[in-house]
Amino acid sequence: MNETNPTPPPFPTPPIPPVAPPPSPTSRAPGDAPEDRAPITGPITAIEAILRQPRRVMYQLRQPGSGALMFYLMLIAILCAVIYGVVVGTFAGKEQYWIAPVKIAGGMMVSALICLPSLYIFACLSGSQARLAEIFGLVMGMLMLTTILLIGFAPVAWLFSQSTESVNWMGTLHLVFWFIAAIFGLRFLNTAFSHSQAKSNAGFNTWIVIFMLVVVQMTTALRPIVGPTDTFFPKEKKFFLSYWTDCLRESAERGNR
Amino acid sequence: MNVSLINPRFVSVFLRADAATVYEWINHRQSQLIGFCLAAIIVGAGTYGAVMGFWSAPLQALYAGIKLPLVILLTTLGNGLLNGMLAPLLGLNAGFRQCLLVVLMTFAIACIILGALSPVALFVVWNTPPLTSGTHATSPEYGFLQLTLALFVGYAGIVGNLRLLPVLAQWASNLHIARRVLLAWLVGNLFLGSQICWLLRPFIWDPDGPPQFIGRQYLHGSFYETVFEAMRRLIF
Repeated sequence: MNETNPTPPPFPTPPIPPVAPPPSPTSRAPGDAPEDRAPITGPITAIEAILRQPRRVMYQLRQPGSGALMFYLMLIAILCAVIYGVVVGTFAGKEQYWIAPVKIAGGMMVSALICLPSLYIFACLSGSQARLAEIFGLVMGMLMLTTILLIGFAPVAWLFSQSTESVNWMGTLHLVFWFIAAIFGLRFLNTAFSHSQAKSNAGFNTWIVIFMLVVVQMTTALRPIVGPTDTFFPKEKKFFLSYWTDCLRESAERGNR
Repeated sequence: MNVSLINPRFVSVFLRADAATVYEWINHRQSQLIGFCLAAIIVGAGTYGAVMGFWSAPLQALYAGIKLPLVILLTTLGNGLLNGMLAPLLGLNAGFRQCLLVVLMTFAIACIILGALSPVALFVVWNTPPLTSGTHATSPEYGFLQLTLALFVGYAGIVGNLRLLPVLAQWASNLHIARRVLLAWLVGNLFLGSQICWLLRPFIWDPDGPPQFIGRQYLHGSFYETVFEAMRRLIF
């Protein structure tokens, strides 16, 4: 036996602390992962980030000097809305090639701006620490994601607009596409909201209802976006439910004839 | 398994769709995989289309043999962008090209199945009496033919998609995400594919006269409008 190397005296082993499970990708806060902290340097990176690493966008919007990123988000949202608008305009052709893109991009931005103050107030009431500028950036991110997804739907929308003659059908299809895209956009906003130390989602859920109603009413206020038009703005004011009912009634009458 | 994609034995390896192998093809042998899938779609769907059209006339067989692969390729391309966007949003970390390849693979598997079912379909076609004064468009024989041909297409489509579910599940490390992605792709492809089919009619028989590649009269309306209108007439 080696006398110079005696057996060390036993010492109490410290208790092993319970190991917390690794955070799941959905519960992870923006900035927790190193890839979230990589700067977003251009519009293409912004598109890539919002599709694959939405937390990276959320984190970067919280950093000082996020104005450039907000500008990219807004620019891409407008550009994608214009492109989708041209696809919408292919149904009626003529003036709608430029009127539909202007109405869609303009209507979308105006709807967002109308709803921005209420989102900020609801966020503050829920205990969120987000600044107004950050919320503006997040809303732009939501619009960008929504319009990018609309671009994904554009080939399908174009095919239908070339083969059908029904304005109602095309209008419904565009609304369905917008609704699906908006779900993903709102999901992005919801994730950001839940990571802004908000204690409750009730205010945000109320805001979603308000935003959806505003957008739907905007489509009626700026009608016609799909069908042929003589004037840029409609000649009479209507609530969207009454407009839709009128459209359905006209369509049913035409079908019965 | 390291079998060349040009080797005929590859078909069996392809149909087994082992997750690790498929992952390796998608990431490292893309051009070969695209070539194989295109060949499978053209041969498989082309053969099945030809069998469908053969019932009415040889020229219709040629047209349907060209149109059926066209439907599949146009659907893949038309929804490529959307499918590529939906995958990461639903939790699957895959690029556009990878998504396009997976969708192309599901269609290729479906087309190989259709190609394999073509002899059976031909047997059904062969045994269906031609349209005469005795057999007409509303005869049970014609209905059986339509139903059988549609059933085969539906079966091949479902199997093609389900075959790649384990691959997606392993890729996403989560069966729930894989199901969501596959369902989203399936709904999108079904939605666009039905309309493309509707526009590229007729496949079996042209009631308006001699065979045409696409009758001018078919380039109007949409599949869903027609279904909706038929339902409206039935209900109201």
